[in-house]
Amino acid sequence: MNDLEKLARLMKSDWDRRVRHDYRFWMSDGHKSDDEMWQAGERDFNIISKSISDTASKTLLEIGCGVGRLLRPALRAFAHVVGFDVSQAALDKARELLGPNPKLTLQLGNGFDLQPIPAASVDVVVSFAAMTVMPTDVIASYLLEIHRVLKPDGVARLQLYYGSEYRVCREDTLHVRCYAENNLRSALQAAGFDVQSFSDLELPFQVSFDEIGIRAAVISVRKSQRAPVALGELSHILLPGGEVEVSIEHSPQDLEHWTALNYARQLAEQGQVTKAKETLEYALRHSQNTTIDTRDLLNRIVSEIEGRGGTVPKAEVASTPGSVFEYNLAVLERRFPDLAKRMRAFSSPQRSVEIRSTTEGGSIWYQGQCLDHPTKPLSGAEAWVKREESEKRTKDCSHIVVGGFGLGYHVEKLLARGEWQVSVIEPLEEVFWVAIQQRDLRSCLGSLRALVVGEQSEIDCLDERTELSIRPQHQPLNPEFWTGIRANFYGTRGLLALSPKIGVLGPIQGGTLPMLSYCMRGLYAFNQRPRDLDMSGFASGYHLAEKFVNGKIHQQALQGTYIEMMSQFVLQSLLEKPVDILICMAQAPASGRILTELRNRGVITVLWFVEDYTRFTYWKDIAQYYDFVFTIQKGECIEAIRGAGAGEVHYLPTAFDPFVHRPLVLSEEEKKTWGSPVSFVGAGYHNRQQVFASMAEFPLKLWGTEWPACRPFDRLVQDNGRRLTPEEYVKIFSATDVNINLHSSTERDGVDPFGDFVNPRTFELAGCGAFQLVDQRSLLGEVFEDGKELISFANPNDLRDKVRYYMQHPEERAQIAAAGRERAMREHTYAMRLKRMLSIIYSSRFEGLKRRQDASPWTRMLERSKIDSELHQRCEIAFRRGEEPILDGLVSDIVAGKGRLSETEQKLLFLFHIRKQIIRMKAEETGQKAG
Amino acid sequence: MKRRYPDKSNVLLVNITRLGDMLQATPTIAGMKQENPNCKITVVVEKQFEDVCYHIPNIDEVRAVDLGMTVRSLSREADGIVDAFEYVTEVVDDLRAQNFDYCLNMSSSAYTALLLKLVGIKRNGGWTSDEEGYRVIESDWARLFASSVFHQNRQFNSLNLVDVFRCSADVDQHPQRLLMKVSPESEAYCDDLLREAAFTAKGPLIAIQAGASQEKRQWAPEHFIRLIKVLETKLDARIVLVGSKKELKIIDPIKAGANSPNVFVAAGRTSIPQLAALLKKCELLVTGDTGPMHMSVAVGRPVVAMFLASAYGFETGPYSEGNLVLQPVIGCGPCNPNKPCAGLECHDTISPELVAELVALRVRGDVKKLPDGLADPKQVIVYRSFFDRHGFCDLEALNSTQYDTWYRYRQAYRKVWLEDLAGFDCGSPAPKNSKLSVLDSGIEGIGSVVELAQQGTELIQELMRCISDVRVPAQKLGAVNAQIVEVDRRIEQVGFHHPPLGPVTRLFCFAKENLSGTDALSLASQMKTNYDDLARRCQKLSAWYS
Repeated sequence: MNDLEKLARLMKSDWDRRVRHDYRFWMSDGHKSDDEMWQAGERDFNIISKSISDTASKTLLEIGCGVGRLLRPALRAFAHVVGFDVSQAALDKARELLGPNPKLTLQLGNGFDLQPIPAASVDVVVSFAAMTVMPTDVIASYLLEIHRVLKPDGVARLQLYYGSEYRVCREDTLHVRCYAENNLRSALQAAGFDVQSFSDLELPFQVSFDEIGIRAAVISVRKSQRAPVALGELSHILLPGGEVEVSIEHSPQDLEHWTALNYARQLAEQGQVTKAKETLEYALRHSQNTTIDTRDLLNRIVSEIEGRGGTVPKAEVASTPGSVFEYNLAVLERRFPDLAKRMRAFSSPQRSVEIRSTTEGGSIWYQGQCLDHPTKPLSGAEAWVKREESEKRTKDCSHIVVGGFGLGYHVEKLLARGEWQVSVIEPLEEVFWVAIQQRDLRSCLGSLRALVVGEQSEIDCLDERTELSIRPQHQPLNPEFWTGIRANFYGTRGLLALSPKIGVLGPIQGGTLPMLSYCMRGLYAFNQRPRDLDMSGFASGYHLAEKFVNGKIHQQALQGTYIEMMSQFVLQSLLEKPVDILICMAQAPASGRILTELRNRGVITVLWFVEDYTRFTYWKDIAQYYDFVFTIQKGECIEAIRGAGAGEVHYLPTAFDPFVHRPLVLSEEEKKTWGSPVSFVGAGYHNRQQVFASMAEFPLKLWGTEWPACRPFDRLVQDNGRRLTPEEYVKIFSATDVNINLHSSTERDGVDPFGDFVNPRTFELAGCGAFQLVDQRSLLGEVFEDGKELISFANPNDLRDKVRYYMQHPEERAQIAAAGRERAMREHTYAMRLKRMLSIIYSSRFEGLKRRQDASPWTRMLERSKIDSELHQRCEIAFRRGEEPILDGLVSDIVAGKGRLSETEQKLLFLFHIRKQIIRMKAEETGQKAG
Repeated sequence: MKRRYPDKSNVLLVNITRLGDMLQATPTIAGMKQENPNCKITVVVEKQFEDVCYHIPNIDEVRAVDLGMTVRSLSREADGIVDAFEYVTEVVDDLRAQNFDYCLNMSSSAYTALLLKLVGIKRNGGWTSDEEGYRVIESDWARLFASSVFHQNRQFNSLNLVDVFRCSADVDQHPQRLLMKVSPESEAYCDDLLREAAFTAKGPLIAIQAGASQEKRQWAPEHFIRLIKVLETKLDARIVLVGSKKELKIIDPIKAGANSPNVFVAAGRTSIPQLAALLKKCELLVTGDTGPMHMSVAVGRPVVAMFLASAYGFETGPYSEGNLVLQPVIGCGPCNPNKPCAGLECHDTISPELVAELVALRVRGDVKKLPDGLADPKQVIVYRSFFDRHGFCDLEALNSTQYDTWYRYRQAYRKVWLEDLAGFDCGSPAPKNSKLSVLDSGIEGIGSVVELAQQGTELIQELMRCISDVRVPAQKLGAVNAQIVEVDRRIEQVGFHHPPLGPVTRLFCFAKENLSGTDALSLASQMKTNYDDLARRCQKLSAWYS
């Protein structure tokens, strides 16, 4: 109904405006005088009410009565007449023109129904030259309303158009609607009428236009006892393809502008200068969005008016469109206003763009590369579209994003197929600028779903049925851009269309262990279906080997066997509850054997290797078992891991978890326990010992394991150097003035001059809103701005200076910490990292995952569960929770005694208990045998 | 008889999964028709029992639910769940469309309770479910049913569940036997079958049902072999071994062990209607507590039935006059049906010779007295089934009740329920000083229960005062409520500590669980009635016991 209300509001404002401008012109063909209008009304009334008998005892209702042209003769014939219109201005005028009459009711309608007219209260409904210009949905709505208000056997006489379907814009209130005759007849039947007669309308002037297949008809229908169909269905019967959102060919603005201008010309020629000027102004007010060239007509009117002593506002006249560029811009302004602004402001084109003539029109060249077909741009475009059509991937899609616009021939051809919505990405602004100078692209531009021009823009209208097609001639110009677009496109589409089950396998121990829960939360944060495989419970067993066996070599061998056994647990668990993607955290117990087994079953294996690849080299043995490896280092690291056999290797730094790493408000006691002017949290690696040994004069607290027991550490190290929980170090971060973050190194003293990756602590400190001094790393600048969001130090001396300085400058500290947190929140959460990870995976594995998803039992279950909305909702929730498609997943949260059970809940519980009962009965049988 | 809903015209009977249950409902079904011939009776059953229902008189319509298919659908997961959901929707819609005005569900299963909630029939006897999914037991009789089958209370019950079921449906007039139709086709089939047997003996045709639903209730094959041999010798009997195909693994060794041309195995060769016809052709059935036992009774043939292990003759014994029921006298019996047994000592309390002797007596006619010394009352009590003056089935001991520890309790409880729930006049117990009668009765703990019930009544009166007076602070209400909870806990506890008080306290608990509505005063008033009921029933129990 919202849609109808919107259309009705539009009809109301359009018709109020037109009536106020000139009611006779817009509402009647006889517009020279009221007398002429009444005569035309009389004529039309006789046509529309022909052979209706016993009118003296009947009630007539006219839909779209306007200023009452037909009401006047109707009042003479009928007992009671109701004039119904959406325009208050029209009804006011009707009231003025018709004067008071007890037989007459003038009713302002809402524009889509006949409220408050009671059901079965009217004998005759007529509509002449009114319903013809209403949007199809409104016409359908009125047909249903006519059926409602008519008495049994009541009659309606409607003037409508039939012939070739005329696909005008939905929001058009001026173009006539024309329907296929069969559809129109079927719709009248479906609305609950029997068609009595269907004859062509004949007037003293042309009303049917065979050249374009439109005929005006007067249709007489009688109300039958059949119940009408629903509104949506009726609209569909009337116009199966529906009305279009935008129509360049039949723009309502163009028509109103053009019609008003012609009227102005006529008035000017008749010497009605004031009225002509008024009408010209009216036309110009509606020229903003028009795309037709009316300069000649305007000039004629202006000279006519000026020749008769009138004046015309020149500025307005001059601003009307006047060139291909302007026409195109006018469309862009309506559809893509920002782009229009940019194009209007674009300076002269680069020399690198040129147009070369061919027998089929121009083709565009950029830096020596032709972006259309070099000799036959039209035929080339046609051939490209045919190739696209034959591609399997375009068969199931509804929307194609075309990479590269050129002069737009191929886009036009694609649009002409009418099978897809089309969007375009054109990275070269100058090429697009030249294109809209060269060709009349109004229809093409007006029909695009999205248009992205320039390298910075991102397309955001993707859905699961969108396909990307990059033109081969555009690829070589900017391969990196297209690679990015491809990754972004498939990644984004994958995130929209795919819901794979994602296993996250944690290590049994170590610093990476908390990342398991961070990743789980991150995945949940953007609606993924993760399943955690927490192996930490196996840690004690792993260490028992050290108690039972003394020999280091034997210990390692046994621990290796233990890891293999854990792998077996993982495999078995994943066979029972399968996943589509397995993300292994660094040091997760996944052996090559189980990874191979899983890959054979179509599982995508992923390793997030969040370690220094030079120090931990186990990747050499396992990289080959992973389809994707994500690293925290770039360059040689990526090459090396790729060389070791990993499928794809990408850089993906660590992050922070906003649920854990957040600013805390601590009690005084907590501040005392955890706080300090300067703190460091972490294990006592060589370089850290060396740096902090020289900082004994600072009020420094050291937290963490593996610190020496000697001086000065015996004084600095807190809580006996025990291992802390993430929650505890968040308290330390929050309670410390200056947090030091020194990346570990086993080989180098102080700050590692070749340090590249950024440790998780950097992100965590920022996430906590804590001020940090961090050692310089080559990749640090990509994630935080040094000096604004954190402060880096180059060496121990630099560190000491900066500690002294920042201890004295709390405001600066607070400002930097706040900026650091803002950046972290904006760019560095685990959810964002995992989104990036999945985008990369989806960009190359979309098809496989989609096939797997389509074949998954959940897909069909979700589809079929739509028979019951609550069942469907429960399925969705269970699916999102990562449950298996079994009954237990659907009933797990239905509990007796927690409020009224819905019918769906009762049915599911019923099924649950049936199964339980049958299982129990079977168990009883088995149990008895044992007994 | 006291009744809740005497007028019913469109009744749904839920009796989904067991053949025995279906047969045991036949007096109720017939009684409904007898009291109101225009009443339409529909039963909803598991699909595999659908055919049987057509052999039960007075059923107008059968609605079959395919539970097997539903469970198979569920086990297919995903799609199967939607299939099962759609099926349930169909079943519910179909049942709703029948506009039943009364439903009796005597299955305590959660799924039948939910089914009835979904169907939404206003008047119920038996189990249904409330808005929140809790099971609700609608009538006192149904609650008595639940209390009586509560394992700890079973030995105190002497009301046959057929009668309890019948009273739950407010049915007074009824046939004093189970009912089943036997078709001429089935009879002809059995004639052929018996011709095939080619017996050489000329004595009575005796059916033996050796199989049982639980292994622990199944008499050993060697006992059956011995029984057959004695029957052959003593009566020149022709023996038909009946049962299902599944039971052949017990029956085949019996046939082999008996090694006689006069033993014929019909097991696995009869459908349920054909089995009924075959039993009708026999003079008597030797059996445990089985479906065929009820079938034999339903076709008018007496049974000699052994109630072993968890089986209890008073509860599910043969519902017609003149059957012989053997109940072992053993401390652990009747045992818990859900627990396995390693000993099976109850099996040895019954000798094949005793059973053979009883068969021999019964084929000659109704047995109202046993020859002296035939059955040792320390080992087994032999009962004869009969109907009391109110039309309730009962068992009378033919040897002695001397060693039956629960006899007096059963008698007392029987009178309590017939008087209190059905409103019958059971005569007057021996006069006692009313103040002291409860304490004098000898039932340990009964005084405490009465006292607690009185405390409960006083607390409820206090609670009602608090509810009515808006000035009373919420804490006070809470405190009184807490005291009530404590009283109820203690009542339940006394019931556990003193088994003879189990039935009466359990009935109190069930009634409490089934208070209905949300209005505090109404709930309090229902609770007061519940305390009054408890006190009154204890006093009656005490009076009848002593």
